[in-house]
Amino acid sequence: MTDATLATRSGESDAVTTFEQHRAELIRSRRAMNLLFIALFAAATVASIYVSRFYPDRLASGLPRIFEYFGTIMPNLELDKLFVGRGDDGRAVAGSIVYWYSDFWVYVRLIFETILMALTATILGAAAAFLLCFPASRNLAPNTIVYWISRRFMEICRGVPEILYALILVFAVGIGPLAGVVAIAIHTAGALGKLFSEVNENASMRPVEGIRGVGGTWFEEMRYGVVPQVMPNFASYTLLRFEINVRASSIVGFVGAGGIGQELNRVISLYSDDRVVAVLLLVVILVTMIDLFSERLRTHFIGKENFR
Amino acid sequence: MSALPFSEIHATQIEAARREHPAIFPTVSRWATMWSLWAVLVLYTAGSLWYFEVWRFATASDRVWRLVSSMFIWKDMGTWRYFDIYSAIAQTLAMAFLGTMLASVAALFIGFFAARNTMPISPVRHLVRRILDVLRGVDQLVWGLVFVRAVGLGPLAGVLAIFVSDTGTLSKLYSEAIENIDRKQVEGVRATGAGPIKVVRYGYLPQVLPIFISQSLYFFESSTRSATILGLVGAGGIGMIIIERFRANLFDQVTFVVVNVLVCIFVIDWFSKKIRQRFIGERAH
Repeated sequence: MTDATLATRSGESDAVTTFEQHRAELIRSRRAMNLLFIALFAAATVASIYVSRFYPDRLASGLPRIFEYFGTIMPNLELDKLFVGRGDDGRAVAGSIVYWYSDFWVYVRLIFETILMALTATILGAAAAFLLCFPASRNLAPNTIVYWISRRFMEICRGVPEILYALILVFAVGIGPLAGVVAIAIHTAGALGKLFSEVNENASMRPVEGIRGVGGTWFEEMRYGVVPQVMPNFASYTLLRFEINVRASSIVGFVGAGGIGQELNRVISLYSDDRVVAVLLLVVILVTMIDLFSERLRTHFIGKENFR
Repeated sequence: MSALPFSEIHATQIEAARREHPAIFPTVSRWATMWSLWAVLVLYTAGSLWYFEVWRFATASDRVWRLVSSMFIWKDMGTWRYFDIYSAIAQTLAMAFLGTMLASVAALFIGFFAARNTMPISPVRHLVRRILDVLRGVDQLVWGLVFVRAVGLGPLAGVLAIFVSDTGTLSKLYSEAIENIDRKQVEGVRATGAGPIKVVRYGYLPQVLPIFISQSLYFFESSTRSATILGLVGAGGIGMIIIERFRANLFDQVTFVVVNVLVCIFVIDWFSKKIRQRFIGERAH
């Protein structure tokens, strides 16, 4: 209903009735649409409840067990013994922090290993992504075949979750952090390569044309034309990826690929005591610290204006 | 100055340029810092790889060869129990759907308790936010492991893991959306004498609902990705099929399942992008 038809009508009541009619129509069509959506949504919900066997009785029997479990993994600290150290015989007193964290130095070593894994994987992955991103950018690729191959290769690298790569690599090279490092590096190469090539596609082509004008080869075009423009963005994406990789390297241990995850898996599956919360707490602290540190570093070196 | 090819530029011309524009050439100290940084990086990487026992790759070649060949040569395809595979994929989608839906419902309430403008009592707000931080800080897979331990193997643990970790993230995003709304509409509703429930219903919800829906859709998408690996710790879905057949050395079936999962995720990404574009528009992102 347009203004023109409203204007041709004479009298106020006519305009009001047209408006009301139009409104009723709109409401009716909207209601039909909404009903359709609600029906679809309800069908999806019922189907997924059926498929995942999420029945109320299972939930009702499961819920008390969840609370029970969370009760058993809480540390039982006693206030009066909280800061009591080890006795003369080298035994810690039950109820003290020392008793709760009796394996503290093992955890510290594993957390150190986790950070090293994330750092090495980020460096290796970023180096691979740096090499891959130039042939994978539409404006810089030397030809379509190279472009297509490098794109698909990166998609395979980032499509499969890193823990699956870790599973396969643990089979190939044995239990230990090496499998985790390589798995995370592969995933990082795919994910960062995509981001890097998007940065490249937004880079100005004028320096590249300038280098080509003075007779530079493809490699010189990339080195002197593109790299100086994109380096700050690459650095910030790599730092961001480091944060993600710390999280990843703390869980690849679930399939035996090293780091604190291996200890976490062992502790959760074998014991249900306060050690679970002890390790979990350290993991949360680690992730939070790395996030804060990396945010500081990014804003210090790169400045906020480079983040969009 | 006309552009010369590289081959025709002489050392004397470079020297002249260096004298005229010293700022564009690197000084010795900058050059030294650059190279020492690179040296540290390379030394660190080499050292850490040595620490991680990189030589294991040298002795792994025949295992890798056996693995790769059995991954890509598919044998006995009639005995692969396709029904199990596809029902596990359906179960994964169902887990992601239920987990995200429950998390959205929870976040709808928790979001209002974590937003500055709807929760004026700051200790309550800070407590809610810290709890959400913990829910987010622990990885979904860890939640999966914990819930498997608590309620046993199966999709229930997976749904709960997705629910808990998505609640943490979605509540934070929802509360940020609530903090960014236009105050005038809320004041208008309040001026008519509406109670707190009605203020939320007519003042806040119409403004934030499109953002909520688009974020929930986005999280459904990302939960389908993460739900595929939740099964690796026993929390139901396709991951359980993957780990079970991997342990039984049926690598060709693992490859088949992974390819199927990738196709599924691709289809869902595409579909959810279309829905978001159609109903919410690009504006809400």
